[in-house]
Amino acid sequence: MANFILRKAEPKDVSDILRLIKELAKYEEMEEQVILTENDLLEDGFGDHPFYHCIVAEVPKEKGTNGFTVIGFAMYYFTYDPWIGKLLYLEDFYVMKEYRGFGIGSQILKELSHTAVKTRCSSMHFIVAEWNKPSIEFYKRRGASDLSLEEGWRLFKIDKQSLMKMMAEE
Amino acid sequence: MAHYKLRKAEPEDVTDILRLIKELAKIVEKEDQVMLTEKDLLEDGFGEHPFYHCIVAEVPAEQQKVEGYSVIGFAMYYFTYDPWIGKLLYLEDFFVMKEYRCLGIGSEILKNLSVTALKSGCHSMHFIVAQSNEASINFYKRRGALDLSLAEGWRLFRIDKQCLLNLSAEE
Repeated sequence: MANFILRKAEPKDVSDILRLIKELAKYEEMEEQVILTENDLLEDGFGDHPFYHCIVAEVPKEKGTNGFTVIGFAMYYFTYDPWIGKLLYLEDFYVMKEYRGFGIGSQILKELSHTAVKTRCSSMHFIVAEWNKPSIEFYKRRGASDLSLEEGWRLFKIDKQSLMKMMAEE
Repeated sequence: MAHYKLRKAEPEDVTDILRLIKELAKIVEKEDQVMLTEKDLLEDGFGEHPFYHCIVAEVPAEQQKVEGYSVIGFAMYYFTYDPWIGKLLYLEDFFVMKEYRCLGIGSEILKNLSVTALKSGCHSMHFIVAQSNEASINFYKRRGALDLSLAEGWRLFRIDKQCLLNLSAEE
């Protein structure tokens, strides 16, 4: 079984975080859509007001693949429900293929649950693509409910172009 | 036409914000599910680290259609993060009292939010709408909104507190 530790991400982790973001995007065949840079991640996550938080999973140097010791991560932030208050929102969650099946993912989720409870969040929210059956099963086994199915919620986006158009309107 | 102004919410607005949250919840018959108190809103929105931001729409005393209330609409938002593109503005709640609709207040609030989003370096604005809420869906679609659940198959999931407690206690 793999020895690993989980810890809060530090500024020096931004290269690994970006690498893992790209690996996960590649799995969804969307790698070219990742336009974020290490500099963005540094400013946005480790400045005065962090816009996200990360946990990283690390293995000892000799167990690393191609020199990589950071082999998994979870990115999250806090959102707000006007009926119940603070929520923990899980944005990205990924463990490198070579390190799956060792309970690292479960441990990360346990750590996130602990963080959520400690910071007095009412629940954890996240989105999953409807075709991603393994992830849906992973979360359902841990008690997740599909709010889109139960309550009919649909996610919408107004992109930059449309925002600029609205801004310019009389 | 109603005179009104939009401004950033202040600590003294929490009473009105809670009132409007409950009015919106009442529309979907879920008013009893609003557990938040004015104290929560105060701590969570006006402390050292705000978990949300609000814009409120206010009318002058002589323009009040409903006695006693000058704050007649609000929008609650916060910033989220997309690991591919960075900062997003997330619109959480958005409501204008019935008596003040069709006066362009909602449009003006959305325009104000667009300015905020762009000024803060956000890539886009996200929000969720119930699929049964056709009026809101059309309101947003007229302004360029794209249904990502339809286009990309995203579904919203929740792990509630009890399950979080179970997970955090597991060996």
